[in-house]
Amino acid sequence: MTVPEPTAGPTAARPKYVGGAVKRREDPRLLLGRGRYVADINLAGTVYMAIVRSPHAHARITSIDTSRAVAAAGVLAVLTWADIKDEAGPLPCIDRYTDSLPVLQTALADGVVRYVGEPVVALVASTEYGAEDALSLIDVEYEPLPVVVDLDEATAGTTLLYPEHGTNVMTTIAQDVGDVAAAFAAADRVYEETFTIHRYVPMPMETRGVVAEVDPITERLTLTTSTQFPHLVRGFLSGVLGMPESRIRVVAPDVGGGFGAKCEFYCEEVLAPLFALRLRRPVKWIEDRRTSMVASSHAREQKHTVRVAVQDDGTITAVDAQSWTSNGAAYCTLATTPASISSAMLRGPYRIPHYRARAHCVVTNKTPLAVYRGAGHPQAVLVMERMVDTIAADLGRDRVELRLQNMLTPAELPSDRGTAIVLAGQVVYDTGDYGACLERAAEMIGLSGDWEAEQAAARAEGRYLGIGLASLVEETSIGPYESAVVRVDGAGKVTVLTGSSPHGQGHVTTFSQLVADELEIDIEDITVLYGDTDVVADGVGTFASRSAAIGGAAARKAAGVVKEKALGVAAHVLEIDVADLEWRNGAAHVRGVPARARTLGELASAATAWNAPLPGGMEFNLEATYQHQAGGIAFSHATHAAKVGVDVETGEVTVLDYVVVHDCGTVINPTIVEGQVHGGVAQGLGGTFMEELAYSPDGQPLPMTLQDYIMPTLGDMPWIRTDHMESPTPLNPYGMKGAGEGGATGAPGALVNALQDALAPFGVNLTSDGPWTPDKVLALIPEDPA
Amino acid sequence: MTSAPPRPTLIPVSLTVNGLPVDAAVPGRLLLADFLRDSLGLTGTHVGCGHGTCGSCTVLVDGEAVRSCLQFAVQLDGCAITTVEGVSPDGQLTPVQQAFQDNHGMQCGYCTPGLVCSLTALLAKDPSPTEETIVDTLNGHLCRCTGYQNILKAARQAAGRPVEEAHG
Repeated sequence: MTVPEPTAGPTAARPKYVGGAVKRREDPRLLLGRGRYVADINLAGTVYMAIVRSPHAHARITSIDTSRAVAAAGVLAVLTWADIKDEAGPLPCIDRYTDSLPVLQTALADGVVRYVGEPVVALVASTEYGAEDALSLIDVEYEPLPVVVDLDEATAGTTLLYPEHGTNVMTTIAQDVGDVAAAFAAADRVYEETFTIHRYVPMPMETRGVVAEVDPITERLTLTTSTQFPHLVRGFLSGVLGMPESRIRVVAPDVGGGFGAKCEFYCEEVLAPLFALRLRRPVKWIEDRRTSMVASSHAREQKHTVRVAVQDDGTITAVDAQSWTSNGAAYCTLATTPASISSAMLRGPYRIPHYRARAHCVVTNKTPLAVYRGAGHPQAVLVMERMVDTIAADLGRDRVELRLQNMLTPAELPSDRGTAIVLAGQVVYDTGDYGACLERAAEMIGLSGDWEAEQAAARAEGRYLGIGLASLVEETSIGPYESAVVRVDGAGKVTVLTGSSPHGQGHVTTFSQLVADELEIDIEDITVLYGDTDVVADGVGTFASRSAAIGGAAARKAAGVVKEKALGVAAHVLEIDVADLEWRNGAAHVRGVPARARTLGELASAATAWNAPLPGGMEFNLEATYQHQAGGIAFSHATHAAKVGVDVETGEVTVLDYVVVHDCGTVINPTIVEGQVHGGVAQGLGGTFMEELAYSPDGQPLPMTLQDYIMPTLGDMPWIRTDHMESPTPLNPYGMKGAGEGGATGAPGALVNALQDALAPFGVNLTSDGPWTPDKVLALIPEDPA
Repeated sequence: MTSAPPRPTLIPVSLTVNGLPVDAAVPGRLLLADFLRDSLGLTGTHVGCGHGTCGSCTVLVDGEAVRSCLQFAVQLDGCAITTVEGVSPDGQLTPVQQAFQDNHGMQCGYCTPGLVCSLTALLAKDPSPTEETIVDTLNGHLCRCTGYQNILKAARQAAGRPVEEAHG
């Protein structure tokens, strides 16, 4: 398909910004140390919040004695659940299914704690260090209860987190497509496997933090918080406190990474406002890293069992899948989304006409689990891509060829997959050439005729090399909508307001590119504002790879409306029919009379109240608000290809080469897209080889610092080679799809398949994402590899 | 009935921060990072982990890259400190800073000031470091956004090395 070129006038020669590697406009101030993150905000009179958290994974609170703290010098207020239960409702979960059991979090524990780190008592003191000191003055006694951290045990239900419900399974999501029973009955072969996906976490470099104050002028509550979605936080806080949204302002300043961990609404975002309302002083809380290990959302942990029906010719006809997600102690804001996405997207790019999935969300005595870059996609990709390799090996088929045989072709798109994703809607693949993408990646990584000889020769020398592939289709650009406002001042400078608040994605740059192209003006003439619900009245946020596609489309559409208004004003000022005007180089030109023109600034001035009166019905000021509605999900796709080497003496895995060929529709800025791919791959690599938020059997989280939760550094990373394909989506007029999550989505599958390929001579069958630390890899290798 | 907060013993400290003299009296346990950020308002120095692992809080102490979350302010008596705000006294990007923008070596910007300080310290001592030295320096920093490839490119550019090549 072709993408409309809404800006190109017949004689337009102005170079386009969209598609160009424009340097980021937000960088200089950040490089000069002028960023403003939550922790950097020090309002006059600020007091500091600290929180007593449960040391037990499951226990009944038998007593809370705050008297020593209340009497202590410098402690200004103390709150327990008893103090706030009449004014703070449960925290919301927005992706509950109608039959989900109600297991919501409360701002402080209500009688029972269900994970280590659950907030029990909150206090405020006059200094930050003093607030930490005062925690030791709170006396809480607990009666330990039986703990369940293992997913199978939790599913069995011997130990219940919520005895009143009689089960630990909160929700079971069903996906039914075609006739699975008949397909299995007719299958030549059936493959069955169980996969485990471990728990790891987003871990943005900036921890969470809040500052709450009652605005002294308006007496409204202002909550400044490190969040990915300030407008939704405004609504959540309104709901929890029963306070009208009109009385609440939420600000997301610079946000130091999120990856899903800040796509949640947390107890501190309720507690700090409660203190601020009581004390009428600014209340500040900054999560320390140790606390973040248990107090910020966890991710990924699932178990899958899959049965796959295959014909002798390699056609995969059906998948029958079950999954269990270890949701932790209660519903998060986004609790069922990982399970929903895994179950809806398991088949990836493959046709597989018959499909059944049951995805169970199970409570366990761990920190609540939520979304993390890719949400449920990485798990599904690992499972499906491991199965495809298993089938190829069993059938003696080339793994690229078998994939191509089963992949949907461009001619088969759009394709209604018959599944649905909670909050996002029906899965209908829009555009893409999955096969071409795979072939390109296989070629780039060197999976040609020489590879097997190279691999065999290396093995003969005791070097174990492997190549792994993972092809994926991912949900991006979910709705329901995003908002934008574009306005022009009398100097022709343009302000863009977006409801999508960034945390490293470069919105200022990409949104400027889109608007500059629409109005044909210089990018430097554009200011982009976001992240303050009083400045931008309406918005949704940055998650699910949605901002550039949905928010960007809204901004460009709003700019288009402004352009139409400007042409209308020009027609009035020049006393000419609007049909005789054209927009070029930031000005309205009379067709055929290049000298007769009015610039954007002149037209903005002309449209003000104090200049020329406009004809009746024409709006003053060059300003427009646009709400772009998604109208469906745009599906990006990619193939990742990894080459690894395994040291069979030490178990160390080195990623020697890494290729990502991906398609996120129209690319606004290739440099930013590549940066997203690199970062995502690093997180997937970390999860595959290093990172695990493990628990002891009694529910104690094991890593408590960044010295024992090991994340990749430069030396762990391969040089990532990328190639772009562009299949614009018809869902927005500019063709963009999302690019933020694909890197993390594809990496675990490609890396585990590469490790499998390397260790195949030892007869291994990898059925988990590890993490494949050297000790675990070594355990796969016989004592005498020769 | 609450009494007045206990007054911590304050210890005098005299140092130079970004070229200006600073004389203060601070509690013994006040971390350098908190002193810079909260007492002096130099919030460009970021605390990412608080235990010396991530490198976000790196500043220059007498020209050496130091993690400010692992130092007490009182330890710095007589020292000259440069924070990210002082790396570029005139507000223009230094070649190190420019290299980050040129190579998209940053996304959320939280870890970036620490990297700028570390590379500034490295290049001041060794304007033409080897690839190995660059990698060693960068390995002391955690970044969760970039996957490091573009940070490496930025460091190479600042060091006058070829930017685009796979590392071994």
